Amino acid sequence: MSRHNLSTVIGFEFFRTVKKRRFWITTLAIPAALAVVFALVIISNQSTSTTAAAQKNARFSFTYTDDSRLVTDTLASTYGGTKTADSARAIADVKAGSVDAYFVFPADPVTQPVHIYAADEGIFQNGKYDAVAKQILVTAAQQRIGSPQLAALVRGNVTITSQTYRDGKVFGGINAVIPPMLFVLIFYVSIILLGNQMLSSTLEEKQNRVTEMILTTLNPTTLIIGKVVSLFIVGLLQMLIFALPVIIGYLFFRSSLNLPSVDLSHLSLEPGSMVVGALLLLGGFILFTGTLVAVGAVMPTVKDASSIFGSLMVLIFIPFYAVSLIVSDPQALIVQIFTYFPFSAPVTAMLRNGFGSLTPLESAIVIAELFTFGFIALRLAVYLFRYGSIEYSKKLPIRNTLRRRNHA
Amino acid sequence: MVKADTVGEPLVHISDFRMDFGNQVVIRNLAFDVHAGETFGFLGSNGSGKTTTLRALLGIYQPTAGTLHIDGKVFEPSDGARLGYLPEERGLYQKESVLDVMVYFGRLKGLSRKKAEDWSHAYLERVALTDKAATRVDKLSGGQQQKIQLGVTIMNDPELLILDEPTQGFDPVNRRLLMDIIDDQKRAGATVIMVTHQMEEVERLCDRVLLLKNGTAEAYGTVEDVQDSYGGTVIRLQHSGPLPASDLYDITSAEHDRAQLAPRAGTDEADILRELVQRGVAVRSFTTARTSLEEIFLKVYGSQNEPARA
Repeated sequence: MSRHNLSTVIGFEFFRTVKKRRFWITTLAIPAALAVVFALVIISNQSTSTTAAAQKNARFSFTYTDDSRLVTDTLASTYGGTKTADSARAIADVKAGSVDAYFVFPADPVTQPVHIYAADEGIFQNGKYDAVAKQILVTAAQQRIGSPQLAALVRGNVTITSQTYRDGKVFGGINAVIPPMLFVLIFYVSIILLGNQMLSSTLEEKQNRVTEMILTTLNPTTLIIGKVVSLFIVGLLQMLIFALPVIIGYLFFRSSLNLPSVDLSHLSLEPGSMVVGALLLLGGFILFTGTLVAVGAVMPTVKDASSIFGSLMVLIFIPFYAVSLIVSDPQALIVQIFTYFPFSAPVTAMLRNGFGSLTPLESAIVIAELFTFGFIALRLAVYLFRYGSIEYSKKLPIRNTLRRRNHA
Repeated sequence: MVKADTVGEPLVHISDFRMDFGNQVVIRNLAFDVHAGETFGFLGSNGSGKTTTLRALLGIYQPTAGTLHIDGKVFEPSDGARLGYLPEERGLYQKESVLDVMVYFGRLKGLSRKKAEDWSHAYLERVALTDKAATRVDKLSGGQQQKIQLGVTIMNDPELLILDEPTQGFDPVNRRLLMDIIDDQKRAGATVIMVTHQMEEVERLCDRVLLLKNGTAEAYGTVEDVQDSYGGTVIRLQHSGPLPASDLYDITSAEHDRAQLAPRAGTDEADILRELVQRGVAVRSFTTARTSLEEIFLKVYGSQNEPARA
């Protein structure tokens, strides 16, 4: 019966959430905005690359002077340039419209600007003068070096792979940091997306005056677990919908969007840190869920509960103010406080786990702490809902509610 | 005044029940039983403690002291499949459709989805709300919502039906419909505990009653027992001429040619009729009846200051 009721609650709560128009408007707003941005980026990139290519290869007549002695006549002539010795005349020709432009290459183009005098072709078309002048200098430098390989090295086109060791074992470096950090991301997204719904999940029974019907039909533990599970499923659905445009964009429009190619095979999955990260995520989720549901059971309206929700949000963001300390000095007092204070512990411990500074003992303590406080919070939430939510329109006096049990 | 009930094994048993809210004693030493198959009227003025007692019986409140048992044990929500409870504080999920809400509660009470849907459609037809199945609850009138809530209460054919002011907010036509539905449940074998201020309903439906006053039982027993305890028989008189005072009766009401007399202890109705005739009263009609529960209610609660808490 209990399992039947749990699945009934999960189904009812899930479907009534996803049947709401507001849910889809909120959920689809972000992917829709992303799709619009992606479309604009594609159009813009296509236009930019076409313009850049056209400008780089643009043909127009120009004269030039070259104090750097890098530009050869042959090179300049391939772009339509003619050397001149008379700057004043060259400028006058541009003004008169007999040539399109006059380039002044300085003695040291690295420290001195290249001056261009040219006929105005509009803001966007004027870019062709810069593009051609720059291309002439790049080609001239490559010709002077004489080797495409050296030229590429000069431009810094170098790929480096490194292997570091920790305690005698190969350490994955940044590729080992990224996977456990995903737990931080999932934690933030789930709490931000679901926090308000967790808060209002039991408020709904109060505001709709359904509490008595529910309490005489259903075990409150079943109700609250059912609500939490359905919220989790709703959150997964939302994350999937949010991720969908990114995945589609990466798979089908990567070149149009100028997205870098991500080689996931380089990521290093350290089993230890992944297990610790997953447990910290689960423990943190249970703690925040239990706390938010308990707050919802105490407060008469969503508005009243929101102020406490804000405080909890601050606690999950505050470790980021100390992130440089978390990375550089994990034993600092403030980092230790953040690591063990229950509401800042999930994020701090997940960050330290990602950076590899959370010892096995510390991991065990924080995980045990999160699960313990999480289950206490859930038990408290169930208790407050059972004996407190009957106070439909009043803020629940917790002390009185807890004391009432002792009288029984 | 309070009579003990010792007949059979009770379905509901309450003894030595005490309920405090802070320093305020709301219920003290309350005891009563409700037997399987009977309809029990739980009566009292606003704030006398009726709803508090029901909530404590159903585990919503933790009692300060005492025993509150249903079928020999403290009520658990897992027993909800055998219970139908219509609380005083009405409410349903407002943003959901009528059918969704009914099926949800039906499923929680152990019905299959199909059975819950079929039952809901049949019930909606009976209460003339067939076309509202897909309508959101908050789009219904207050009376329509009450009908849905009653449906949710009885859809599992409960063995014990607890109704806290079931006719509250109903017009006379729908009140009759609702009482017929309750009557059906009673005939099907349900035990009914009913809190109401409609005394004619109590007289029509209830086997036994308890009058609660300031958290204690003021009267408890069959309807007839309680009527006998509070005045017993009354005489309704139609007459002409002045109505004389007498040692045989008290005049409880008099208006134009109609009066109601309360015989004094040990006085026979025939002696009163004889006395009236001998003293020159032209008696056109002389009928005897029991004191109505409404009169008893007014007598018990008429001068009471209402406590703050229900």
